[in-house]
Amino acid sequence: MKEDSSYLIKYTRSGLYCELADAWIDPIKPVKRALITHAHMDHFTFGCDEYISTYETAVIIKERIGKEINIKTYDYEKEFKINGIKISFHPSGHILGSSQIKFSLAEEIWLITGDFKRQKDETCKEYEIVKTDYLISESTFGLPIFKWDEPQKTATDISKWVNSSQEKTSILFCYSLGKAQRILNEISKTNFINNIYIHSSIYRMNNCYKKLGIDIIETKKLEQTKNNLDLKGSLIILPPSLNKSSYLKNFKDIQTGFASGWMSIRALRKRSGYDKGFSISDHADWIAILRTIKESKAKNVFFHHGDSEALNKYLKEKNSINVLEFEYKK
Amino acid sequence: MSLKKFSELFIDLDSCNSTNKKIGILQNYFSSNEALENSWTIYLLTGKNNKRFISGRSLKTLFSEIYEYPLWLIDSCYLKVGDSAEVISLLLRNMITEKNIKYQDVSLDELLNKSFPELSILKEDDKKLKVKEIWANIPVDNLLVINKILTGTFRVGVSIGLITKSIAKLINLDEAIISHRLMGDFIPSEESYKLLIDKKINTSELNYKPYPFLLANTFEKKIIDKSINDFQFEWKWDGIRIQLIKRSGKVSIWTRGQDLVNKSFPELVEKISSIKDDFVIDGELLVWDFNQNLPLNFSLLQKRINRKAPSRSIQKSLPIVFIAYDLLEINGEDQRDSNLVIRRKSLEKHLYNWLNESKKELSNIFKISDLIYPKNWVEVETFKNNSRDNGTEGLVIKNKKSIYTPGRKKGLWWKYKVDPMQLDAVLIYAKGGSGIRAGLYTDYSFALWKDGELIKFASAYSGLNNNEIKELDRWIRQNTIDRFGPVRSVRPEMVFEISFENIQISKRHKSGIAVRFPRITKWRKDKLIKDADTLENAEKLMLNK
Repeated sequence: MKEDSSYLIKYTRSGLYCELADAWIDPIKPVKRALITHAHMDHFTFGCDEYISTYETAVIIKERIGKEINIKTYDYEKEFKINGIKISFHPSGHILGSSQIKFSLAEEIWLITGDFKRQKDETCKEYEIVKTDYLISESTFGLPIFKWDEPQKTATDISKWVNSSQEKTSILFCYSLGKAQRILNEISKTNFINNIYIHSSIYRMNNCYKKLGIDIIETKKLEQTKNNLDLKGSLIILPPSLNKSSYLKNFKDIQTGFASGWMSIRALRKRSGYDKGFSISDHADWIAILRTIKESKAKNVFFHHGDSEALNKYLKEKNSINVLEFEYKK
Repeated sequence: MSLKKFSELFIDLDSCNSTNKKIGILQNYFSSNEALENSWTIYLLTGKNNKRFISGRSLKTLFSEIYEYPLWLIDSCYLKVGDSAEVISLLLRNMITEKNIKYQDVSLDELLNKSFPELSILKEDDKKLKVKEIWANIPVDNLLVINKILTGTFRVGVSIGLITKSIAKLINLDEAIISHRLMGDFIPSEESYKLLIDKKINTSELNYKPYPFLLANTFEKKIIDKSINDFQFEWKWDGIRIQLIKRSGKVSIWTRGQDLVNKSFPELVEKISSIKDDFVIDGELLVWDFNQNLPLNFSLLQKRINRKAPSRSIQKSLPIVFIAYDLLEINGEDQRDSNLVIRRKSLEKHLYNWLNESKKELSNIFKISDLIYPKNWVEVETFKNNSRDNGTEGLVIKNKKSIYTPGRKKGLWWKYKVDPMQLDAVLIYAKGGSGIRAGLYTDYSFALWKDGELIKFASAYSGLNNNEIKELDRWIRQNTIDRFGPVRSVRPEMVFEISFENIQISKRHKSGIAVRFPRITKWRKDKLIKDADTLENAEKLMLNK
């Protein structure tokens, strides 16, 4: 087994790092050069000298932070070189613009999946199977209790939830970027006829998606207003940060729901404080993680993001692949 | 056929936080379902005598063996989920194809009366086959309910009160009647449901059932604005609240938890049977120390409850006493609508006669709750503070005008508990919680100093709010020194104020002491571990008690 220092990609205080290309992947501290897998803000840090991402990711990031940054973009599959390391972005199926990043040097290939999913999602490109020697994957939902329902089933549950409480205002919390657009798309395929209102942050992301060629159904933007609008029977979509905030005082007779993969566990659902949990995730479930490892043909695998103890042990017992752990993990 | 319906009911109730909506859901369910299925539903929802057909552990083992699945992986999942039944039903989704399902639906009666009871008489291998067959042939969405029933852990936020309300609404009958009909054993059958919803009120049907208990509220400061003469004061005994019933000559002893405990206390049944009158009396059961004339520790009472048919020597070494609080019925006449003063007088009069007639026989086991007469509210405070001296845990204050009504109604009775004992202790171990606290470290062990060493003295689970739990969970993960299975030992750094009701010598614990109802009352971030209490301080508390 190689030492950490000889790995093409290693784990540092600032995040995953490719020394030969002098580039960090989704760094958590300002660095010289940052490769960005996708536009969720926990994967983005201000203050880097240079950013590199897909075009879609760049558009969304600029919209979110509201200013110009030095960001270079490459299309999916398009190979570019930094210090002789061949690098390319490949769809990861997580959200619009999200990518896996492939590194190759001589005959050795490394693949960072970034956040990914294998389920169908019409608002972004489908995950691409990329063959690799070393795979760095995520294990956010790395336990076999996680198995996602068809998104249509969840969307139907959401419509039913709203429809069966016409006397209430139904507030669904979900991430403004990715999840909200996916849910809107799935709901548009059910026979949901009630009004849908969305928070301005989601409205902005919807416009971004539309600009990038993704169809999103028309919804009403929620204006900040003190007049209690009569929103009975409507569906309102808000980012989770507004749960329990004074913002909710604008609404009367509400019921709340949260859309997230964690909601498939009853204890988490109960603890979350939402009235209802809808299980839908933009990450891979257990079976999808195993399938992805297999299809990548990787001989070595690392996990980061989430607790991978069980996944590591399971793979080691199956003896099918070499499971590695980064030495420096703090 | 209604497992499917019941499963949907579970999901609806589980994701509903409004009491009124829950009542509506239940009403709809009961009115559109068969009597027999409804009776099983009530049986399951009230959680009375819910039987365990398979333990959570065996359920995991069975799954592991049937599907050749690593047991450690199931355990890892359990840490996140906190409920064996749920873990297995989540995992089953990976194992089962919905295609060749035999039973699209099955009745609760079929399951609870036939399939499940059969399991307990099967040999291991046959049991495995049977469970596998059940899992494979019932729609995946219904397996959570199945597994919860199998493991006897079926619970959903529905109280007996809520069922009472929905049935009462359904048939438009007084809640008190339904509540009474639901007291005690409820044996599921078509008849029992039909009796429950019978619009005719039949007195004999209620013969063996206790009345719904009147429960005390926590003391409210505002009552001291009222005259002390408006209230009756008694000690708050730390035993089990029971109703002692003698009707048509037959004695039954019911706990507040609605268990019939005649078998645990044969000496009480025997002595009570000799009384000539019929009655229903509300009171407290305690284990008594006749030398000091004080109640003994609650743990000894638990020993008595858990032992059915105790031997003579146990009856002698752990003698029980019934302390009467209130007379609810005498010779078939309901007294509950009379006010407290009248009920008390009547209780005193009857008890006096009974004790006289029986000579010494009865007086050792049957006492009356002594009244206390504080002159003013300041004296009430003094009585309360001294209540440990006679082995009680505070006062019960009763409005003299109060009638005896079910439940915890405002303005009738109050419990005024003595302040708990407290020690500052150091967190040394943490264990993952279960149920709703799965995936978080919420079961804590605390230590006190002895000769420069920290000795574990109590475990506590409650007292922190959700934010503190999350914060402490994070801290525990970052400050783990060692792990033993699900338990982490942590860097001794955090000090907590632990409150408890009682303290006594215990040979079973390394510290030599045991405390009752320990709970966290404050996270003492202001204290260093050197400021935590010593075992010596704990021993002092024991002596001063």
